[in-house]
Amino acid sequence: MLAYHIRIAWKSLKRNPILSALIVLGIALGIGVSTTFVTSHHVMSRDPIPEKSSVLYYVEMDNWDPERGFSDEDPKAAPNQVTYRDATALMKSTIPAHQSAMYKSYLYVFPDPKVGRPYRGRVRLCFADFFPMFDVPFRYGVGWDRSADRTPDPVVVLSHETNEKLFGGINSLGRSVRIESREFKVIGVLEPWRPAPKFYDPHNGAYEEGDELFIPFNFVRPMEIRTGGNTSGWKDSGETFEDQLQSENIWIQMWVQLDSERQKQDYKQFLDSYVRGQQALGRMQRPLNNKLLPVMEWLDDQGAVPEEATSFVIISLLFLLVCSLNLIGILLGKFLARAPEIGVRRALGASRTAIFLQHIVECEVIAVIGGVIGVLLSILGLELVSRLFDGMFSLRLDWLMVAAAIGLAMLSGLVAGAYPAWRICSLAPAAYLKEQ
Amino acid sequence: MLKMDKVNKVYRTDMVETHALNNFDIEVGTGEFVSVMGPSGCGKTTFLNIAGLLDTFDGGTYSLDGADVSRLSDGEMSRIRNEKIGFIFQTFNLIPDLNVVDNVDVPLRYRKVTRQERKRAIEEALMTVGLTSRAKHYPSQLSGGQQQRVAIARALVGKPKLILADEPTGNLDTMMAREILDLLETINRESTTIIMVTHDPELAARARRQIHLLDGRLIDLQADHVVPLYRARKSFPASV
Repeated sequence: MLAYHIRIAWKSLKRNPILSALIVLGIALGIGVSTTFVTSHHVMSRDPIPEKSSVLYYVEMDNWDPERGFSDEDPKAAPNQVTYRDATALMKSTIPAHQSAMYKSYLYVFPDPKVGRPYRGRVRLCFADFFPMFDVPFRYGVGWDRSADRTPDPVVVLSHETNEKLFGGINSLGRSVRIESREFKVIGVLEPWRPAPKFYDPHNGAYEEGDELFIPFNFVRPMEIRTGGNTSGWKDSGETFEDQLQSENIWIQMWVQLDSERQKQDYKQFLDSYVRGQQALGRMQRPLNNKLLPVMEWLDDQGAVPEEATSFVIISLLFLLVCSLNLIGILLGKFLARAPEIGVRRALGASRTAIFLQHIVECEVIAVIGGVIGVLLSILGLELVSRLFDGMFSLRLDWLMVAAAIGLAMLSGLVAGAYPAWRICSLAPAAYLKEQ
Repeated sequence: MLKMDKVNKVYRTDMVETHALNNFDIEVGTGEFVSVMGPSGCGKTTFLNIAGLLDTFDGGTYSLDGADVSRLSDGEMSRIRNEKIGFIFQTFNLIPDLNVVDNVDVPLRYRKVTRQERKRAIEEALMTVGLTSRAKHYPSQLSGGQQQRVAIARALVGKPKLILADEPTGNLDTMMAREILDLLETINRESTTIIMVTHDPELAARARRQIHLLDGRLIDLQADHVVPLYRARKSFPASV
């Protein structure tokens, strides 16, 4: 019977192709717009490192003003970065499988004069564990080892784009790059790698361009490298660079990899005892508020998905609803115009249910055609959104989103068609038999 | 086959009540060919609609094929229409998008019949009406007489016990009308009950029994209880 209803629906669509095209276009526009924004939101809110997100934790601890919490809106919130003092103390733990304190800075990079002029590069200062902890993919070489963290060794890992820029994309291992006044030896070149959102540092531009160079964290002191990211503080931080390092200003991100529940508990205990020790020294006078946030919770906490993306999803779904509601009138007119035919079908034995189903199937056929065209429109829409974000996202429809779009289209068809189908099946057949 | 006992049908508007059927009684036996005549507005079509379970009624009882069908659900009425009743209309009421085969196929689509059974039944019905060669034609490609024969094939295809024909020759010329009556007579000979509404006395006379309706009541010319008023009027063709 379903095949019969589909065939009848197809004939009905062909009977009035212009009207049918308008109805299909209504659904297609609604689906195209909503799928574009739902997909964008889906991509932005998905797990950026699914293979490891269950063992990666962002560390928070509360060093804030005893009189006033870090956030006025959320009294339970802990500061979202840590101080230099705390970061270096935490790095002494031997519990995590991997751990890295990190921050971003802007430093002058001096390419070969034949290649280009000096420029301010986006540099991430981090520990050796950064690379294995985040499964950072290498094209040439590897990251530095932990001994290079301690010295620190003047070594640098280049992003794929920076290697293109400085060395034309060749294997540049062993070559030298001058950063500020020091020469750094290239020991690794990354594959193209641009996690979106930049989960390891979302509050310093979750969707901004990625880091260009990576150098050992411990150059912070000898080179007096100030942060290029957000700094927050509640207490006078002094004037000298050393004052900054010893201050309560927070500007460093701290990540740990804890492979088991046991490790997690041990690390939590370590954090608690560290803070208690600091409290005994007169710091951290707020109640104990240490946190180990998993990746997705951390991103959610930081609002990594732009509010605009969520708003656009809501607006686009409302647009789809408006499209569906507009179609109710058109479908009602279309269906009522064939009341005499329905009278004949009823006389020949079609029940109300059969007539209702026939018309719902027709709506669903329209919806599926509209959905398919809508999916094609959304491919164009995603290309536009992708350009808005400078190609950061791979905004491609996956099968899940295609299925969701078609499902949404069918739901719209149901919303648009239910009332007209109910009206036509409720008509008294005898009233229309003489009109045929 | 069909028995109505004191059936009433009232159409109501804000201002007026119209009694389309007024304590209407009728009994039609299996295999009868009954013609129904009467002036416009006398209740012929209302009677046919109620008989075909296409309309409800306000009082009285109606039994069809031995079963009371006075108070049935929509699904039950649809099943009876589909299995026991065939309809033939004045304006043929073929579905323009469907070809001859698909039009004849419509009643079979609403019952559980295999593809092979449907095919065989359609071929048989088209053979009965002599339209096998027009199977793939669309209604617009057929003459009026051919269209009515398709409609008859559609009414026959489900092997109904009762055929209700509402002025089946009303849109046809005399020759075509006679052909259609010949066909209905052939069908009736195979013990299918036929009730036919017509305005044409010549065609009505070919039915084995003629009944007349006036003001929602039955006047059966073969029955003993003919209303005297009708006898007084029956010499005036305009009133028939």
